[in-house]
Amino acid sequence: MSDAMIEFREVTKRYAGLVANDRLSLTIRRGELMTLLGPSGCGKTTALRCLTGTIRPDAGRILLDGRDVTEVATHQRELGMVFQNFALFPHMTVRDNVGFPLMIRNLRKEARATRVQEALRLVRLEGYAEHYPRQLSGGQQQRVGLARALVYRPKVLLLDEPLSNLDAKLREEMRFEIKEVVTRLGITAMYVTHDQAEALALSDRVAIMNRGRLQQLGTPEEIYETPNSRFVAEFIGLSNFLEGRVASVRGATMTVTASGLSIHTPSLPEVAPGHKVLLFVRPNEIEILPAATPADTNVFPARVEKTTYLGDTMDYRLMLGEGVELRVQADARHRYGAGESVRLRWPRVRSWRANEE
Amino acid sequence: MTGFWRRHSIHGITGLLLLPAILCFFGLFFYPMLLTIVLSFRPEGQAVGWTLENYTRFLASPDGRWVILLTFILAVGSTALSVLLSVPLALTLREKIRGHRFYRLMVIVPLVVPGLIGALGLLLFWGTRGWFNLFLTQFVPFLPSPLRVNYTIHGLILFYVWLYFPYTCVTTMSALESLDQSIEEAGAVVGANRWQVLRYIVLPLITPGILAGSVLTFMAAFGAFSVPLIAGGDYRPLAVEIYKEISIPIPARWSAASAIAIVMGILQVAFLAMYMRIVRRAGGNAGAVR
Repeated sequence: MSDAMIEFREVTKRYAGLVANDRLSLTIRRGELMTLLGPSGCGKTTALRCLTGTIRPDAGRILLDGRDVTEVATHQRELGMVFQNFALFPHMTVRDNVGFPLMIRNLRKEARATRVQEALRLVRLEGYAEHYPRQLSGGQQQRVGLARALVYRPKVLLLDEPLSNLDAKLREEMRFEIKEVVTRLGITAMYVTHDQAEALALSDRVAIMNRGRLQQLGTPEEIYETPNSRFVAEFIGLSNFLEGRVASVRGATMTVTASGLSIHTPSLPEVAPGHKVLLFVRPNEIEILPAATPADTNVFPARVEKTTYLGDTMDYRLMLGEGVELRVQADARHRYGAGESVRLRWPRVRSWRANEE
Repeated sequence: MTGFWRRHSIHGITGLLLLPAILCFFGLFFYPMLLTIVLSFRPEGQAVGWTLENYTRFLASPDGRWVILLTFILAVGSTALSVLLSVPLALTLREKIRGHRFYRLMVIVPLVVPGLIGALGLLLFWGTRGWFNLFLTQFVPFLPSPLRVNYTIHGLILFYVWLYFPYTCVTTMSALESLDQSIEEAGAVVGANRWQVLRYIVLPLITPGILAGSVLTFMAAFGAFSVPLIAGGDYRPLAVEIYKEISIPIPARWSAASAIAIVMGILQVAFLAMYMRIVRRAGGNAGAVR
């Protein structure tokens, strides 16, 4: 048995000259929860719709559990799907909504009732079988959607921004619930979202898409810790960027001159003095120290411009050297006021060759 | 009572501005209606006295009851056919086929063509020497004689359908338009084929729209006048019967005509009330379409 459950092979889809999917290749492993993440218009929804069969790709193949389904009709693909706007059948009760896929498959009444009951228990909605969708809250409606998608044990569960119509608090709750249900059933799931927090919290692996292509594929840690491009770094979490030139390379460390500062950072492969690089540091990776701190490697003087209180952290805008604005998030227990001079320590700086962009 | 008047008091300039509207309403609606009611209880041709004879004569005679039955047959038949025609048509026009905009426009043509002109055109088209029969006699062998359409009851229903089905079709189309595409998509993804999506999802959800539209067709067909007048032949529904009472006998039988008009009005209102109850019940569950 092959390890791949969903396979996109060089899938291309154009809309009136606009390339929505540009030779997209992506493999989702059996039992894995993969998130397709990207800004709107990046092609993640197109990829999903190619997989459901709602639209046909112009080129490329789509394989489901080893079988080429590119030409197979939507209703024969054995998929389960949760929709952004829930897409429940408004004229049916919760029981009939969840039972619909079974009814279509001509399952006997008794078997149907048992399976519906099971599915409703899974999403903790046993008491709501006779309710109509409009009588339920958004979160409950989405749980009905989840039960309907899972009731006939499809090979694959697709989730199309399932949480974006819910309010913030519920979103977090539902996030755990979806994760738990998917893990318990061991089902392969493809989760489409533009919300990076969701992607990081839920996924086994994240596929970041940009302009119809796969930009980076990796675990949430890999994506966050070692983004392979400015696009990924900007999309996942907050970041500060500095353009600079390599001054010297000494073994595993190189020195980069950027905005008049000399910054030490792990060296890049095949890098030589004079190369342009892009430095990148997360706001929570910078330490703010008192102005009296002695000079050291990667310690730079700066001035606090603006502060925002965020509860557990303070958000600072600082001016560094020659007009470089930096964003830093630090513990709110030691506060620095606007106009105060401080020193910043960068324990960790990452970089890319700049022409890579 | 005083509270009511204080809350809804019309004073000064507002009252003055409303006056023309109020006068029009009473002059053009209440007065003629009241007059019809009064007339229907007067002995024919007399300005005094009260009688039920105008009603009993109409309702007791076989002719009178036939007129009522005929009106219902025509209205129910044409409404049912309109629904049968509208649903597939609306479903077809929803697909973005070539020229769907043009076809959609064509659907409402009968609404903008005056009924009289439409009826004349239909008479010419369906006549024994019209295009329809010319076509039949040319291409269908062994046809004993031209098909009679004009001045028959099925012909009249056909004319009604042509004239009044747009009401049903337009509301069916708008019901389809407002249907959330993702609901149908959800049906397909969980395993329903096109036919099953149509049967279990689309049709139940647009039924309230279809019913609401068909009531318009029904009302129009029930009150139809000019079409049956010129294309009905011996088939005279209520509206034509009323007109006959005041146009053929000399002197005109105003009281008889009034009584039939009142009967017609009562039937119409009663039917509408009944229909609305059915529509509300059918639409109760599908009403909350997001």
